[in-house]
Amino acid sequence: MKTEKFGSLKRRTIIYTVIMATMLVLTGRLFQMQILNRIEYDKKSTDNSIKSLELQPLRGVFYDRNYKVLVSNNPAYTLRITPAYYDTSLNKTLESVLGTESGFVKNMLKKNRIYSKFLPIKIRRGVEFKVIAWFEENSEHLPGVDYIIEMQRVYPAGVNASHTFGYTKEISPEQLSREKEFYKPGDYVGHSGIEKTYEKLICGTKGYSYVLVDSRQRRIGQYLGGREDVFPQKGNDLVLTIETAAQKAAEEEFIGKRGALVAIEPSTGEIIAMVSSPDYDLNRFSYFTAKSFLDSVYSDPFAPLFNRATMSVHPPGSTFKMLSAIAALDMGIINTSFTVTCNGGFTFGRFFKCHGSHGTVNVVTAIEKSCNTFFYKLIYKIGIDKWKEYASRFGFGNVTGVDLTEEVPGLIPDENYYIKRYGENWPRSIMASLGIGQGEVSVTPLQLAQYVSLIANDGKTKTPHVVRGYIDDQTEELVPLEYKEINTGVSQSALDIVKEAMFLVVNGHGTATHIRLPDIEICGKTGTAQNPHGKDHAWFVAFAPYENPKIAIAVLVENVGFGGTHAAPIAQKVIQAYINSFKGESKTFKDEIAVVKVN
Amino acid sequence: MRIDYNIKDKFDFGLFLPALILFGFGLLAIYSSTVNNTFAQENFQRQVVWGVIAFVVFFITYSLPTNIFKSLAVPAYLVSLLLLVAVLLMGKQISGSKSWLLIGAIGFQPSEIAKIATIMAIAAYLSRNNSNIDSFKDILITLAIGFTPVLLILMEPDMGTSIVFLGMILIMFFWKGISSFSLFVVLSPAFIAVAAIFGTVYFIVALLLVIVMLVTFKRNLFFSASIFAIGLSFGFFADFVYRALSPHQQRRIQSFLDPNADPLGSGYNTIQAKVAIGSGGFTGKGFLAGNQTQLQFIPEQWTDFAYCVIGEEFGFIGSIIVLAIFLILFLRILKLSHNTKDEFLSLVSIGILSVYLIHFIINLGMVVGILPVIGIPLPFISYGGSSLLVSMFMLGILANLYRTRKNYT
Repeated sequence: MKTEKFGSLKRRTIIYTVIMATMLVLTGRLFQMQILNRIEYDKKSTDNSIKSLELQPLRGVFYDRNYKVLVSNNPAYTLRITPAYYDTSLNKTLESVLGTESGFVKNMLKKNRIYSKFLPIKIRRGVEFKVIAWFEENSEHLPGVDYIIEMQRVYPAGVNASHTFGYTKEISPEQLSREKEFYKPGDYVGHSGIEKTYEKLICGTKGYSYVLVDSRQRRIGQYLGGREDVFPQKGNDLVLTIETAAQKAAEEEFIGKRGALVAIEPSTGEIIAMVSSPDYDLNRFSYFTAKSFLDSVYSDPFAPLFNRATMSVHPPGSTFKMLSAIAALDMGIINTSFTVTCNGGFTFGRFFKCHGSHGTVNVVTAIEKSCNTFFYKLIYKIGIDKWKEYASRFGFGNVTGVDLTEEVPGLIPDENYYIKRYGENWPRSIMASLGIGQGEVSVTPLQLAQYVSLIANDGKTKTPHVVRGYIDDQTEELVPLEYKEINTGVSQSALDIVKEAMFLVVNGHGTATHIRLPDIEICGKTGTAQNPHGKDHAWFVAFAPYENPKIAIAVLVENVGFGGTHAAPIAQKVIQAYINSFKGESKTFKDEIAVVKVN
Repeated sequence: MRIDYNIKDKFDFGLFLPALILFGFGLLAIYSSTVNNTFAQENFQRQVVWGVIAFVVFFITYSLPTNIFKSLAVPAYLVSLLLLVAVLLMGKQISGSKSWLLIGAIGFQPSEIAKIATIMAIAAYLSRNNSNIDSFKDILITLAIGFTPVLLILMEPDMGTSIVFLGMILIMFFWKGISSFSLFVVLSPAFIAVAAIFGTVYFIVALLLVIVMLVTFKRNLFFSASIFAIGLSFGFFADFVYRALSPHQQRRIQSFLDPNADPLGSGYNTIQAKVAIGSGGFTGKGFLAGNQTQLQFIPEQWTDFAYCVIGEEFGFIGSIIVLAIFLILFLRILKLSHNTKDEFLSLVSIGILSVYLIHFIINLGMVVGILPVIGIPLPFISYGGSSLLVSMFMLGILANLYRTRKNYT
C-alpha cells in the first residue's frame, strides 16, 4: 500500500533543496579558496615546497703588514648522519673510528630528534683525512653516513698570536636573540680577538640555494634549475699591522715564560707584535673543540685564554721614571742642571732605599742608573695631582681603545684616591713609592708600549691598533681604517732629555748595556714590579732606533726578578727581528697578489 | 533513429555517463598523486583493473531481472551481518580500525556491502502492505535493522561509515513519509548526543531546544517527558562514549573544532588539503604540476583526499565541473526515485542516493575544511576497490530499475 505521503513532491523538493544547498555551499567555498584567497594559499604552497639552503661565505683572510697571509681558510671534512637511512647498530663502529667516547653518536641523534629524519645531522667537524678515507672505502656498509666539506681557519705563517687573532665559536643563544636577523643557530661567529672585533667586516654575506623538498624534507631537486640562487659573498680581507718576523721572534722568546709583549710603530700606533704567554693553539679551536682540551685550557692555573697584554695590571716600576722626569721638565720645575745627591736612600717619615749610592745625579743620570733617590724627591716637587695629570696625558688610567675586545684601564691614584682611603691626613710618604712606579699605580703592557711610543715620537701617536684596513673587493686596494690622534702636548726639550737618558741606559753606563747592538741604537729602560705574592715581575721598555724610531716596545716577564736581566733580551731580539726585516719599500696588496699570481 | 530511441529508453545515459566521467577524473587524480610515489605507483593500474571489474558488475546488475533485488534483500542483509562479525573476529587492522577482510590477496570492506544490503532490508520492511511509518513498532524495527550493522561497524571502529548509515536510515524514513513529529522523536536523542560531545553549554542549549520543540508539538505531557528523558540519557551516553573513544578519534573531533591548534597532527591534512585546493586558483597548476600533490604533502592523497588533486591541478574550473557532474547524477537519481512507482524500488533508489550524497557531503566538506576529517571516500573518484565496486553495483540497480520502470506503472 502506498501512502499519499510516500515520495511526495514536497519531500522530493526538500531533498532537491538539500542537494542544491550543498552544491551552493561547496561552490561558494571553492570560489572563496581558489579565487578570493588564492594568493594566500599560493604563498603557503610555495613556502611548503621551496626551502632555502644557506651557503656559508668564506671568512676574510688576515694579512700581515707586508701582505703575508697569517690567517686563511682551508677545506675540512664534516661527517654527517641522515637518520632516515642510518642504522643505529653502527654507533659503536663510528665512535671507535672517530675516537669519541661511547654514546656520542646516540646523544647527537637524540639532540636532533626534533628535526626531520631526512635532514643530515653534523656529527663531527674537522674529521681527519685518513678517517674520511676509511668512510669512503666502507661507504656501502654505512648507509646514511656521508661527509661534506666546510671551511675552517688555518694559520699558515706559523704565527700563533692567539690573543690577537682570536677564534670563532658557535653562536651563543644570547647573541642569537640579539641579532636574529643576521645569524642562525649553528653559525660560527668571532668569539675573541680580531675575529670578534671585525666580525661584521670579515664574516661575508650568506648565499642561498633554493631546492624543492617534499613533505618529509627530502630534497627533490633545484628550484628553477638554480636560477634564483644567491651566491655567498666572501668577507673582506684584513691587513693587520702585525709584522710576522717580529711576532715570531716574540713568541719564540716567550716559550716557557709567562708574561706579555707589545711592540708598536710609534708614528702610527700600529701594533707590530703582541704576545701573551702562555697562549693556546688556535688550531684546536678552529674546528671541533674536544671537551678534554677545553677543560685543560679552562683549568690551567696560568689562564692561557687571558690576554696579559691588555688585561694584566702591574706596577710599572722604574719604567715610570721617565714620566716623572717629563712632568718635572715640562712644568719647568727642574732642568738638566738640577741635581740630587744619592746616599743610598731617602727619608720621608721612614727610609726609602735606593739600590746603590749614585752620588750626585741629574735627571739624565738618574734615569740611566735608575736612581730611586732622585725620583723620591722629584715627586714631592711635582705633586700627586700634577703627576696624575701627566700620567693621563700618556694614556695611563684609561683604556687605550685598542681594537681588541678586552682591555682594562689600570689605576693612577690621585689625592682624592688617598683621601677616600686614609682620610684628609693620608700619609704623604706613600708618594715616594709612586715616584718610582711602585705602590698602587698599575698599568698594562699595552699602556706602557703606548707611553714609550709617545716618548719616542715627540709626544704624538695614534690609538694603538692591530688592523690597518681592509681590501676592497672591486679595486683590490687597501682601504685604511681611521684611528684617533693622541698628543701629549709636552715640550720637545723634555722629551729629548728623556730620550737621551734612555739611549744611555743601553749605550752608556746604564742598567741594560748588555743588550747593546752594534748596528741598532736601542733606547730603553728597565723596571721591576714589586710583587707581594712571589718573585718580582720584570719590565723592559724600549724604542729603536734613536733617530726616527720605528718600534716602541714593552716587555713583561712574570715572577723572574730584575727587568734588565730577563725582559731586556726579549725586547732586543724582537727589535732586531723587526728592524732587520724592514725593507723600507712599501708594497701594496696588488704588488703582492701580482707576485703570487706570477708564481 | 529507432535504435537510438531504444537505447535511450532502456539505458539511462544520465546515470552512466556521469559515473564514467567521475571515474575518469578519479583515474587522473590517482595517477597524478602516485606517479612520483614509489610505494603507491601500482595503485593506478590496480584502480584501472578494479574499474573494469566494476563496470562488468554494473552491466551484470543492469541486466538482472528486477524482482530479484527484493527477494535478495533479507539473505543479503543476513550475510552482510555475518561478514561484519567475521571482520571483527579475523579482520586486518589498518591504521587503527579493523575493517578489512582478506580473501587471498584481495581485501575488501564488508561495511561497503552492508550499506546496500541494509538499504534493501529497510526498503523491504518499510514497503510491506500494512506498514505504518508513524507507528512506534515500525520505527523501532526499522531502527533495529539499521542499527545492527551500525553497532558492528562502530566496533571496528569506523565512524565515517556509521555516519553514512545514520543519514541513510534518516533519508529513507523521510522518503517513506514519516511525520515531522515522528522524525523529531527519532532525531532529538541524536541531536542531544552530538551536542553533548561539544560540551556542557551545547548540551544544555540542545536540551532547551528540545523542550521548546516538545511544547510546540503539544503532545501529551507523559509522552513528551519520556522523549525528553530518552534524549537526556542519550546525551549522557554520548559523553560516556566520547570519553571511551581512542585518543586518535578524540583528537579528530577536537581538530575539527580547531584545526590550527595541532598543525602537525590531525589538523595537518586539512591545512594541506586547503592549501592544495586554494593554490590551484582559477585554472589550476596543470596536470602533474601541482607541487602539493607531486611533493606528497597530503598523506594517501589518492584515497579520501583525491579531490585535492583536481582542485590543485585543474583549479576552480575542474572542481566545479566535478561538482556539476555529481549534481546531474544526484538529480537524475532523485527523479528516478520519484518516478518509480514501486515502493521497494523507490526506497532502494533513494537509499542509494543518500549513500552517494552523504559520502559526497562528508568527503568534500572535509577536503575544503568545513567538516571534520572523517575518512570516507568520494564515490567513483577515490582509490579503492570495494568502494568502487559497491558504487557501481548500486548504480547498476538504478540503471536496472530505469530499464524496467514501465513494468511498475
